[in-house]
Amino acid sequence: MIWNHFLLAAGISASTWLLAAFIPKRELVRNGLVLTGIASIAIFIGFLWISLGRPPLRTLGETRLWYAFFLPIIGFLTYWRWRYNWILYYSLALSLLFLFINYMHPENFSKTLMPALQSPWFVPHVVVYIFAYAFLAASSLVAIRGLYQEYKGQLQPKIMLMADNLVYLGFSFLTLGLLFGALWAKEAWGHYWTWDPKETWAFITWLGYLVYIHRRHQMPSKFKSSLWILALAFVILLICWFGVNYLPSAQYSVHTYSQQP
Amino acid sequence: MNKNTKSLWQSPWGYSESFLLTLGLLLIGFALEFTVGNASFGTIVFPYNLIAGGVYIFLIALVYFLIRKKTVFKFLSGIPASIGAISGLSILVVIMGIIPQIPIEEKGIVTSLGFNRLTTSIPFLFINFYLLFILGMVVIRKLFPVKWKNWGFICSHLGLWITVFSAGLGSGDLQRLRMDLNENQIEGRAYDDKGNYLDLPLAIKLNDFKIEEFHPKLAIVDNTTGSLYEATKPSMIMIEDDLICQLHDWTIIVDEFFVTSGRIGDRYYSIIDFGAAPAAKVRVISHTKDTISGWISCGSFNRPHESLKIDERFSVLMTVPEPKRFSSEVSIFTPDGQKQEQTLEVNKSFTVNGWKIYQLSYDETMGIYSTKSVVEVVKDPWQIFVYIGIFMMMIGSVYMFWRGSKVKNEETLNGISG
Repeated sequence: MIWNHFLLAAGISASTWLLAAFIPKRELVRNGLVLTGIASIAIFIGFLWISLGRPPLRTLGETRLWYAFFLPIIGFLTYWRWRYNWILYYSLALSLLFLFINYMHPENFSKTLMPALQSPWFVPHVVVYIFAYAFLAASSLVAIRGLYQEYKGQLQPKIMLMADNLVYLGFSFLTLGLLFGALWAKEAWGHYWTWDPKETWAFITWLGYLVYIHRRHQMPSKFKSSLWILALAFVILLICWFGVNYLPSAQYSVHTYSQQP
Repeated sequence: MNKNTKSLWQSPWGYSESFLLTLGLLLIGFALEFTVGNASFGTIVFPYNLIAGGVYIFLIALVYFLIRKKTVFKFLSGIPASIGAISGLSILVVIMGIIPQIPIEEKGIVTSLGFNRLTTSIPFLFINFYLLFILGMVVIRKLFPVKWKNWGFICSHLGLWITVFSAGLGSGDLQRLRMDLNENQIEGRAYDDKGNYLDLPLAIKLNDFKIEEFHPKLAIVDNTTGSLYEATKPSMIMIEDDLICQLHDWTIIVDEFFVTSGRIGDRYYSIIDFGAAPAAKVRVISHTKDTISGWISCGSFNRPHESLKIDERFSVLMTVPEPKRFSSEVSIFTPDGQKQEQTLEVNKSFTVNGWKIYQLSYDETMGIYSTKSVVEVVKDPWQIFVYIGIFMMMIGSVYMFWRGSKVKNEETLNGISG
């Protein structure tokens, strides 16, 4: 029953979004299709909520549904404000990926999610971070391109404007993700900041981009040092994302998601 | 950097002076840590932290009035000084991110410089005061004269200042204690992480501890090592009624499954009894179509577990179920004679008399039969100020998202690389 409705909702979202990708020129129709796909997931979540008699926030499969719902919304808002087409398609693709994972693993709807993660904060915390990482990754690609142009001696100042805006958007999401995490931690564990290794590295990442923003603000006409700061900040971000688990400090982290909380 | 045009420490100061200041501060901090150690200062508690905070704010205001017309104010409220302070903090936090923050018994360079407890070390204290000072100068400079267009800037910067200031000063007043509640007993004392007991201005009676578990999972283990066999993923599959699944090279069929059961004779029966454990009758079919059938159970604190040997090398077993949710039905008594009935659950805390009560844990060896509930009680009188700061930063972030890059586009487009 629930499964059939899921297939219907996911099918509507997938087809409207695929259709939207093929008619990028007709903006009104395209946006309508995108919103229809989002609405279809929203309706399914509402249906699930009513039929389960509780907020569907308890299993990994349910959590993925929320990702699939919020990702295109934020993607659409960002596109609406900044006209970056790629972020809209990126968010739609990620959303479809989450729906697809749920389709491949029906049992995930009943899979374990430890009690500490069963919180309304879980989804916003992760979704906002997904966006922060997307923008910051894009900004670092711009930085690498800029450094290459610099190496060739033909750096175009316009590229810096692109990098700046991407960093500003990414940094605002990064800050929100960090603060959502802090508020959640206070609600769940009794303190908003415990210097858990993942938190520590998230904070270092935040500081890295903070340096970039200030440096750019003060020296808008000097590019090379800023580009290197941006490239370095992304290395730190990668450490925070993947590398933390391999550091000596990580064995005491709550963010490693091992069996024992 | 104006190295070529002016000598060091000659006004106006820039990046070189900023980094040297930060470096000097760190060196003095580490030197003090190495010689005096942090034994000389403890955490400051109410009312001393309030006084210290007041004095600090007063000092910032005083310094501002003394130097606001001088060029050094421009430096202290400027970007090079900010970047220097941020970099100094980054160095310390990177050390913290690499070296485990745990007590180490043997003396060495790591312990004597405080690398393993950085948040309580002198250089960390210094850098935070310095950062708050610089950030304070920055905020004051943007605050006066008051301009409405600066509201986003003020939100993010002042928000950060308030957060760091109140979290730092409030840390001495933060109390995180635990209480062990046993069903039908009243508990009025809590213990800290050193095992010292304290009396609380409230008492809690545990009326009922409730716990739901997920179904246990099927897993294959190596008979000789006892370790989980993980040739393919997923290596564990949750048991359900009439489940037919593929686990590595075997097809497993669940013929019968009981959430609580007991073994009587050669099979298990569904029973409700203290300590009754899950059990399942499974059929395991290998790729050569050999079928082995038998009972498995994960056991409990008073019942043995049972696995099924499928060949010389492997056995199939049932894992101990994981908790789905657990909660405590409690009565909370306060000195004014009030009694409140509450349900405490993970992620759902309850506040009474300035204490926040969190569901933390239970007797895990007893599983669903636990009659003990462990709760954490937290008193954090400065929390409201930290939250004000956090919400200001959130508003600042949304502003930043909407506004986008403020970097002077004209100057960028006319800029030269270097």
